[in-house]
Amino acid sequence: MTSGATTGVPVPAEPAVRRRLRRRPPEPVRRALGQYVALVGYYLLIAVVLLLVTVLGVKGAADASARLVPFLLAAAGVVFVGRRVIPTRQRWALAVAVGSSLAVQLACYYILVQVVGGGATELDGNSAFFSVVLAAVGPILALPAMLNLLRARRWFNGERERQIRADEIGARPIADPLMGPARAATAALPAPTAAPTDRPVAAPSGTIEIGAIVPLPASAARDRSAAGPLLAVRDLRKHFPIHGGVLRRQIGTVYAVDGVTFDVMRGETFSLVGESGCGKTTLGRTVLQLTPPTSGRVVFDGYELEDVEPNDMRPLRRRMQIIFQDPFGSLNPRMPISDIIGEGLLSQGLTDRQARDKKVEDSLEIVGLRREYTRRYPHEFSGGQRQRIGVARALALSPDFIVADEPVSALDVSIQSQVLNLLYDLKRDLNLTYLFISHNLSVIQYFSDRVGVMYLGKLVEIGTVEQLYRNPRHPYTVALLSAIPEADPRRRRKRLILKGDLPSPAAPPAGCRFHTRCWLRERLGNPENCVTQEPEVRSLGDTGHQVACHWTEEISQTTVSEAAAESPAIVAAAVEDE
Amino acid sequence: MTAAAATTGASTPHSDGDRLLDVRNMQTRFHVMDGVVPAVDGVSFTLDRGRTLGIVGESGSGKSVTALTIMRLLDIPPAEIGAGSEAWFDGRDLLALSESEMRKVRGKDIAMIFQEPLTSLNPVFTVGAQIAEQVQTHLHVRAREAWSRVVEMLRLVGIPSPERRAKQYPHELSGGMRQRVMIAMALSCEPKLLIADEPTTALDVTVQAQILELLKTIQQRTGSALIMITHDLGVIAETVDDVIVMYAGQVVEQGSVADVLLEPRMPYTMGLIESIPTVEKRGGRLSAISGVVPSPFHLPPACRFEPRCPYAWDTCRDRMPDLSVTRDAERHARCHLHVAGAASRLEAAVSQHRQNMRVGRQLTDSV
Ligand SMILES: Nc1ncnc2c1ncn2[C@@H]1O[C@H](COP(=O)(O)OP(=O)(O)OP(=O)(O)O)[C@@H](O)[C@H]1O
Ligand SMILES: Nc1ncnc2c1ncn2[C@@H]1O[C@H](COP(=O)(O)OP(=O)(O)OP(=O)(O)O)[C@@H](O)[C@H]1O
Ligand code: SF4
Ligand code: SF4
Ligand SMILES: [Mg+2]
Ligand SMILES: [Mg+2]
Repeated sequence: MTSGATTGVPVPAEPAVRRRLRRRPPEPVRRALGQYVALVGYYLLIAVVLLLVTVLGVKGAADASARLVPFLLAAAGVVFVGRRVIPTRQRWALAVAVGSSLAVQLACYYILVQVVGGGATELDGNSAFFSVVLAAVGPILALPAMLNLLRARRWFNGERERQIRADEIGARPIADPLMGPARAATAALPAPTAAPTDRPVAAPSGTIEIGAIVPLPASAARDRSAAGPLLAVRDLRKHFPIHGGVLRRQIGTVYAVDGVTFDVMRGETFSLVGESGCGKTTLGRTVLQLTPPTSGRVVFDGYELEDVEPNDMRPLRRRMQIIFQDPFGSLNPRMPISDIIGEGLLSQGLTDRQARDKKVEDSLEIVGLRREYTRRYPHEFSGGQRQRIGVARALALSPDFIVADEPVSALDVSIQSQVLNLLYDLKRDLNLTYLFISHNLSVIQYFSDRVGVMYLGKLVEIGTVEQLYRNPRHPYTVALLSAIPEADPRRRRKRLILKGDLPSPAAPPAGCRFHTRCWLRERLGNPENCVTQEPEVRSLGDTGHQVACHWTEEISQTTVSEAAAESPAIVAAAVEDE
Repeated sequence: MTAAAATTGASTPHSDGDRLLDVRNMQTRFHVMDGVVPAVDGVSFTLDRGRTLGIVGESGSGKSVTALTIMRLLDIPPAEIGAGSEAWFDGRDLLALSESEMRKVRGKDIAMIFQEPLTSLNPVFTVGAQIAEQVQTHLHVRAREAWSRVVEMLRLVGIPSPERRAKQYPHELSGGMRQRVMIAMALSCEPKLLIADEPTTALDVTVQAQILELLKTIQQRTGSALIMITHDLGVIAETVDDVIVMYAGQVVEQGSVADVLLEPRMPYTMGLIESIPTVEKRGGRLSAISGVVPSPFHLPPACRFEPRCPYAWDTCRDRMPDLSVTRDAERHARCHLHVAGAASRLEAAVSQHRQNMRVGRQLTDSV
């Protein structure tokens, strides 16, 4: 929680990419694979029907059992092409896949022509119906699958990638004890052998094969001094379409996150602050790839997180967890605590029930709840306890990066401080890195090392707590700080009050997004560039303090206090009336 | 506890003729399936004309129920107002008025602003029509006059082009604007008392600053008295003269804002103030109040704060403390630390509090 370690953070540079992860296949291939799955399901369904017909001894049963085998073979063939052939990404794989689906289609069209054209006159009504249903598979599934594969033909260029194992990615093994002397010892231990430090070090579980690109060993991932930021975000955008009208057509776009760039250093608490709707939650979720970004890059510990193959993403997911905003809505009311916390463990492959329960109990203990609580349901807990369960859920996977989305906003002050202390202790003991989201400036000031101030989907100022709170360089930050209700009556002061409300993120103002409410612009006689030109994020010296305002040099004690003095007692509710 | 003992004493230097509201031993219970919830349990306070009073406490401490009881807005049953409860407003006991008399008081003499303006505004009428209706019923004026009053009030609370806004429906306005409409409506009949129940909790910090400034300015301009209910000590410090702190349905501390916030004399208030994260506490843990608020069905028999209190001793488990004058400061506190013979304990608590407020590094003041 000390900020000394993070002063002088350099301006975000190009993030170093340590190792590429396997990309998810492009959208058309994913769709084709989905259609393959449907095809297999269809075949198996038919096989089951045929089997039933045989078993129940319906008329013509001998016929049915004979047809069973081709369907099973067909299903197996599709599985083989989908699982084995297509992932090789060879040109011949494309040929095989397209060829086989063409064959399926031809068979289907043949049946269709036979039935419809009356070529198979010996068929009775039932069989004819059955055949048509069967043949429909061609145009409905096999044809689009084939077209999808053809659309993605460039992807079949032979670039096959190796799957990465969990320990290579630097995730702590789940069995790794979270706390206590045992963990402290492993964490403090240097490399077990006298290997050069840039060589991979055996992670506690299993050995590492040395690939073309040296992966980061588990112990180094937790090392504060490892080079580079833990998280690098570059020009990240997330836009949501607005649908409306009878046809649900897109009638607009919410620019929830619109070009955000920042770094989070190892072991630091980076906070995002801003008003409701400015995009904090969306940013946190997009960073974790819980929603796919519209554009921009997220590099976590040297791994580019874009369209990552789910199998490769899984071990990374374990290192990045989220604590949700709402302690009441984020826990499934029908699940006992053991399942709520154990869910993530299960998805990480910890199938052993006992080991999982033990792990769940350990995490409950860490957040200060009783081990016996595992059988209880969320409604049996108070708000603060529920938030602790949310923390336990995140911790169960031994992450090293946690997005804490307003973890204390829904809580009473006395409970809020308990949860803040818990987060503080965990960070200290487990060397966690937090992306801490809040709209409470006092909490942020107390809890963070560096802060990013968000306004309408953009970061307008980034700096250490000292820089930001002592010497705010953006007019919005100045106004935010001035608006904090001060519990100490001795510090009461004249406020600088902003006019109007936050504009809609679906229609952000042109130029500087803050210009409709900016007091500085007003004091400077409404300079034109505020409206015409979007201010770039600039660095102030090499202190790491960054700001996006054309006129930041004009902010001084004098301008601020003059603006505060001239703040009318009753400010207008809206800036300009349309 | 006597009414005299519970007045805000030295911090209200007005004579009795200035007294607007005098709540005495108010008790409100709810009969629910699991038993009886003593939501408000013997609350007494006074408020003079033109003064502002804050009610602060955690969720469920009985702040809203106190206000709703005074306004007589609770459904009876499940609510039950205890015998001996009195709420003297301008010489009349509100709790003894008939419903039709009360209807004349509500909106006219006492107005209330709620946390979520959307739920208290009627979605099917324009905001202007809703304010106008209230003006017409209470001030007995004609429609034309009522409408010009509406526009005047909307302009007063900072709503631009009020003529047009008055014809809009609540959902067409932003959260901050709706809260302004609520304030305009509340003030339209020039009430003697305005009760604001968490008026800014649902708003953003910059809009909250606007609304608090607006409330303060208008309160000063119109000279109405104000009761501000909130869980945010910062909002209290900003807006009111006197404050009462509630815990589990009781008043536990009472005095002027500066006294209570700077020199709290009841362990719960101390803990609340210590839990607020501030600059000074950076780089250290916050001193948190342990445990949770007791369930209303299992209240501790003596001091209700005893299970969470770091200074509790035997007496605290035997007897419920009274809300009485403290020995070393100008206010009332409900705590055994203030009885004769506990002086050294009180001293220890006070010095521990001072220490807790000064942990971590110091940062100089912001802009
Ligand atoms: N799934 C979604 N679909 C459409 N719009 C969305 C979606 N999620 C968020 N938004 C919009 O994006 C904007 C940013 O929302 P977000 O929840 O990120 O804000 P926030 O800063 O977290 O606010 P709060 O402080 O209220 O939590 C809002 O205008 C919101 O309405
Ligand atoms: N209509 C009701 N029926 C039953 N119990 C109620 C009712 N209204 C309030 N209570 C109970 O009375 C107690 C006090 O509630 P109250 O709403 O006054 O709290 P509060 O201090 O305003 O809290 P908050 O900060 O959450 O608004 C609570 O325990 C609550 O559960
Ligand atoms: S660029 Fe102009 S409008 Fe934007 S914050 Fe700076 S002064 Fe204000
Ligand atoms: S009476 Fe005792 S338990 Fe209650 S607040 Fe005072 S010291 Fe604590
Ligand atoms: Mg959010
Ligand atoms: Mg309430």
